[in-house]
Amino acid sequence: MVSSAPAPSAPGGGDPAPAPAPPPAPVPARVPVRDATAPAPVAIPGSPPARLTVASLDLRMPVVPVGVADDGTMDIPPRATDAGWYRFGPAPGAPGNTVIAAHVDSWVTGIGPFSRLRDVRTGASVVVESKDGATHRYRVVSVRKIPKDEAPVDQWFAREGDPRLVLVTCGGAWQPEIRHYADNVVVVAEPTGA
Amino acid sequence: MRARLLAGTAAASLALAAVAATAGPASAADDAKLSVLHGVPGLTVDVYVNGKLTLDDFQPGKLAGPLDLAAGTYTVAITASDAKDDSDPAIGPVDLELAAGKNYTAVAHLDGSGDPTATLFTNDTSTTAPGEGRITVRHVAAAPGVDVLAGSDAVISNLENPDEKVLDLPAGTVSASVVATGTTEPALLGPADVDVAEGTNTILYAWGDATADPSTLALATQVIDGLHGNPSGVQAGQVGLVSDSGTTPVWPYALGALGVVSLAVVNRRRADAGR
Repeated sequence: MVSSAPAPSAPGGGDPAPAPAPPPAPVPARVPVRDATAPAPVAIPGSPPARLTVASLDLRMPVVPVGVADDGTMDIPPRATDAGWYRFGPAPGAPGNTVIAAHVDSWVTGIGPFSRLRDVRTGASVVVESKDGATHRYRVVSVRKIPKDEAPVDQWFAREGDPRLVLVTCGGAWQPEIRHYADNVVVVAEPTGA
Repeated sequence: MRARLLAGTAAASLALAAVAATAGPASAADDAKLSVLHGVPGLTVDVYVNGKLTLDDFQPGKLAGPLDLAAGTYTVAITASDAKDDSDPAIGPVDLELAAGKNYTAVAHLDGSGDPTATLFTNDTSTTAPGEGRITVRHVAAAPGVDVLAGSDAVISNLENPDEKVLDLPAGTVSASVVATGTTEPALLGPADVDVAEGTNTILYAWGDATADPSTLALATQVIDGLHGNPSGVQAGQVGLVSDSGTTPVWPYALGALGVVSLAVVNRRRADAGR
């Protein structure tokens, strides 16, 4: 469909090229140029979280990477004793929110440690150990129970802004007809820098 | 998603960057983004935008940009790399119309017959579904129609110069190869592992000349990230054992796991005691 005939537009033709008057602009900024034949640049993710500890709740859990469930919600490890890190979002220490969620209760393990999340105190210490051995320390700044239809999900999953840790589970009334809890329990923690 | 520029005029549209400098004042949201890919083998050029030398000694396989440009029309001329100015362009001048908020790649390439041409593509920067990435494949090579195989399945059929195909796929790695339409081998390109990066439009260009000896057919890659969609929510409970209202869990389900049952009994008793 591109059978271009040999261009008759001979260079130097008689047409007075209507050159648009170039504005007296400053020198163009330098144009970034890269070799497109090299492998595409790959974003270097931080090291995934491997362990979550909230000592004041006697909560110590392994953390595994998770993605998205078939229904578009965050995937959650089937065992309530495992916490899931949203692997498409920021790792600990990177800008934005590191989101870690776990079932409050599950078919295979019953009630899990995140059932105690609602009891955490503001100021409580949270520690995340990364796969690479680094230790990230946080302090709880808020604990909230939010109806799911009002949950600011996009804020939890923000990939920009100050690094924060967002822990999510369920709470409120069980709704047997849809087999979900009514609320999310959400703990936000900020790095202590120590 | 695509607009031809000038069939038969080469490396044109290396537009670009007349640069914000030549454009009037505009907020970032009103800007267009423009990248330029040089896909004509064996030709080093200079690119002039609105009369200004913008890319000096621009080489095949290179990707320039992206540049934030105010919406508008930019006039591009392409000359031999030793030209003093754009008064005797080898290609063009051509006009590129760039709309506010859009993301473009202008590609100088060979058409299906091996003649230089240029195509302005509009890049799909719509939000991807959570957990998915986007792959765009563009045929800008002097080669017949191709199929793209993922494993042994044709995921793109009969893609012709200068067309494109856009696929949204679950994030992960796909082993892909490019073959002549209707065949499975030999691979013209690949097989190669393609990273379907979440929230990213990975644009793959098949460029060069398959009829040259040796073939100059090659792959070029452009990446546009930050397109991710977030999960729709967090459903993090399955049984109802810790319900605030004391709602009794559904017993038949609970029978599935003994550990769960015993916990449920406790919960039931609590609920009963509360009445």
